[in-house]
Amino acid sequence: MTLAAFFPFLIAALCAWLGPRLGRRTGYVAAAAFLPALLLIPELLGMPGSAPALEVTRWVPELDLHLAFRGDGFSLLFAVLIGVIGTLASLYSVAYLSEHEKFGRFYAYLLCFGGSMLGLVLSDNLVALFGFWEMTSVTSFLLIGLWHTRSAARDGAMKAFLVSALGGLALLAAVALIALGGGSTSLSGLDLSALRASPFFTPALLLTLLAAFTKSAQLPFHLWLPTAMEAPTPVSAFLHSATMVKAGVVLVAKFGLIFGTSALWPAIIVPVGLATLVWGAWLALRQTDLKALLAYSTISQLGLLMSLYGLADAEGRFAATAHLLNHAAFKAALFFVVGIIDHETGTRELPRLGGLRRALPVTFAVALLAALSMAGLPPLGGFISKELFYEAMVHQGPLYLAVAVLGSTLTFAYSFRLMRVFLGPLRAPAGAQPHEAPPGLTLPAAALALTALAFGLLPGMAEALTRTAQTALNFGAYGGYLSLWHGVTPALIATVLTWALGAALVTQADRVGDLGRRLTPRTNANTVYYSLTQLVNVFASWLIARTQGLALPDQLRIMLAATAVISGYALVRAPQVFHPFGDLPLGVLPVAALLVGGAVGVLLSRNRLTAVIVTGLTGFGTAAAFLAFRAPDLALTQLLVEAVTVILFLLAFRYLPGVRDLPRTRGRYAFDLTVAGLAGIGATLLVLSSVRFLAPPISPYYLEYSYKGGGGKNVVNVLLVDFRGFDTLGEITVVGIVALAVLSLVRLGRRGRTRTEPGAPPPEDLAPDLPAARVPVTQQERP
Amino acid sequence: METLFALLIGLLIAAGVFLLLSRSLVRVVLGLSFIAYGGNLAILTVAGLREVAPPLLTLRGPYMDPLPQALILTAIVIGFATTALLLTVALRAYQVAGHADVAAFGDNLARDPHAEDDTFADPEHQGPDRPDEPEAEPVPIIVRPRSRP
Repeated sequence: MTLAAFFPFLIAALCAWLGPRLGRRTGYVAAAAFLPALLLIPELLGMPGSAPALEVTRWVPELDLHLAFRGDGFSLLFAVLIGVIGTLASLYSVAYLSEHEKFGRFYAYLLCFGGSMLGLVLSDNLVALFGFWEMTSVTSFLLIGLWHTRSAARDGAMKAFLVSALGGLALLAAVALIALGGGSTSLSGLDLSALRASPFFTPALLLTLLAAFTKSAQLPFHLWLPTAMEAPTPVSAFLHSATMVKAGVVLVAKFGLIFGTSALWPAIIVPVGLATLVWGAWLALRQTDLKALLAYSTISQLGLLMSLYGLADAEGRFAATAHLLNHAAFKAALFFVVGIIDHETGTRELPRLGGLRRALPVTFAVALLAALSMAGLPPLGGFISKELFYEAMVHQGPLYLAVAVLGSTLTFAYSFRLMRVFLGPLRAPAGAQPHEAPPGLTLPAAALALTALAFGLLPGMAEALTRTAQTALNFGAYGGYLSLWHGVTPALIATVLTWALGAALVTQADRVGDLGRRLTPRTNANTVYYSLTQLVNVFASWLIARTQGLALPDQLRIMLAATAVISGYALVRAPQVFHPFGDLPLGVLPVAALLVGGAVGVLLSRNRLTAVIVTGLTGFGTAAAFLAFRAPDLALTQLLVEAVTVILFLLAFRYLPGVRDLPRTRGRYAFDLTVAGLAGIGATLLVLSSVRFLAPPISPYYLEYSYKGGGGKNVVNVLLVDFRGFDTLGEITVVGIVALAVLSLVRLGRRGRTRTEPGAPPPEDLAPDLPAARVPVTQQERP
Repeated sequence: METLFALLIGLLIAAGVFLLLSRSLVRVVLGLSFIAYGGNLAILTVAGLREVAPPLLTLRGPYMDPLPQALILTAIVIGFATTALLLTVALRAYQVAGHADVAAFGDNLARDPHAEDDTFADPEHQGPDRPDEPEAEPVPIIVRPRSRP
């Protein structure tokens, strides 16, 4: 299992390298990435009986973070599903993608996504689960934005990422709370009774639901899924049938075992799921883009799955698992079909297409099977799982059943709307000559559609697959079984009603369309999302314009004032006890005088020469202080540096204007004085408080080993060149880089393309007291 | 003694910050030097000022703590490098801009944030579930003549 989760990443690196070399054939390599996942099939087939395997690789034990993969029936079922659809999607893309695609990038993203999804479903460690969850968000961001030159793709990727990252943060918090309450980060090792009793239970439940709803595009968060259709079609098939969007469903299914006892769990999930079912189906009915139709259909079907798993009882889990398999089969097939249509006609717009059954007979057959399964017609798998859905809803009450019937009616209607591209007279965009797609495109679709058919015709096989998850999801006691004919039950009556209503909707398509135009609200999740993002953008530019777009002194003022406020608050909150004023040794008074003289003098100086000399005073004062405090090396260095600095300043003054300060406004002057004073006070307090917390020095080690280890009696020197040699090397590098920078800056001045053009008006931001004529002529320019 | 030096460091830092906030480039550079002096002295002070021998093993102990001294030695050199670089940048800035007024150096971010109208990355792409808009008049795109910088 560990291999199954990580093998795709390895192959992804390989594909990134092979992509430019093999071109589209990289897809065959990519398909091999899911082999370890497919090798889990034997393990899955033995499943309801055999005990789940657990593979633990220690990773960060300090965080209780291990790569623990647990192959219970449900995880294995999902992993195999991902493996199958991933393989088919890889093979399909070989024929689908154009010659100019960036194959390396595409397959690398696709496989990273598949790997993180496998990790997500197999992971037994909560923290690792969160990690894989976030990786699916990131990789799907990359996949959706694959054609990043199109702004729509960027927008779609961003939207998907923002929404699912919001859920990711919620999941992080939920995972932390669960681990705290349950006393373990291992999903199978949680102390459930302790968690249920802990105060973290309800917050963790709500946060988990937020994560699941964002990922699985439940009602308020459904906005990202349709725009995620900007991804290439094989990606859509992979993301939407088997994987990313189902991550939320997986979460609800798995965590339902933890949270299902709470009445809050079904009370939130089931209504949200049913509302998503109906609303998604209603919106799907309105789409003209085939992929958008499928996207909303996915939203709707996810609502169905959510509501079933959310029931957190055996019946719901059984029905949901059965439908999960069916949905994966027919939805991936339909995406592949839409890809074929797009490929052959160059458009996905419903009104521009029609009568394709003659041109694309095989595709038509595939689409028919898949769409009938989606509509819930016998003898396909979709019919059976819908019966189970109705059965479950019958037990929940008539209101639930009515909503379920409404949702399924709409599903029925949009399934037939989808099929309209194959019916009626042939219609295709001018220039397109639709003919049957190559087998590379039709075979994966046909395989999936036949699976959907097999689920219906051989319900025993579907049941066996569903039952593999029974131990993991705790529905072993459920007595129901999959069959096309259960006798005349309330569910069957509801189904017949659904067909009648669905047929009515199909015949009254125009009126339904009119109604749709009128009923769709003007404010929806998308408008809210866009106004929110715009609000953030406007606020950010407002903030930037007022804090970062300022001239340097103003920015500094803001930063310093902020520091003053924050540290002042800290000081008030935690007042320190400082040393009393100690004795005043007379010996250091001259040093102090030098320092004070320099600091005060530079503020008063009007002449630049004076300023530099006075600064030097402080420099020499510092050197004297070093000498006084037993640091001869420092004093020597400081003296040398001081001398060089003065020379440097004098050199620079040849080209620089006078140092006399330009006038500040009165308010700024006062403000600057305050800030400077506060900074000084802060520095003093900082030094005083640090003196108080004097730690035992680590220098005895250096004193002892200076001669023994370094062979030098000047400990400071030995420290620099031996103990902290790399530090010194870094320092030398810094000085070297600075020397290069100084040199290049000085040499830049040679050409003197600095001037404003002759005769041009002076720049607006030129200080009024500095006429442009004072621009110096550099030395090199002189003849 | 530490208290005295703490006060002196405060003074140096205050002078440095005041210089840093001034409009003249050279004074900004000088201000940074003052902050560097203050910082170096602070490291020395925090390590404790004691009347013991310098860390030269030829002398008789006890010795001063050598570690802060090594740190300061690095800091002095780096400080010098910073001053040199800043001074050159100041020089260059003066050559380019023709003045040494820090406050007058523009910042690109200071340009009007609303200069680009706040459209989405893709205005058509607001999501397929948007209501059908009535046919709207096409909005004329105003092309402003680009003024010469």
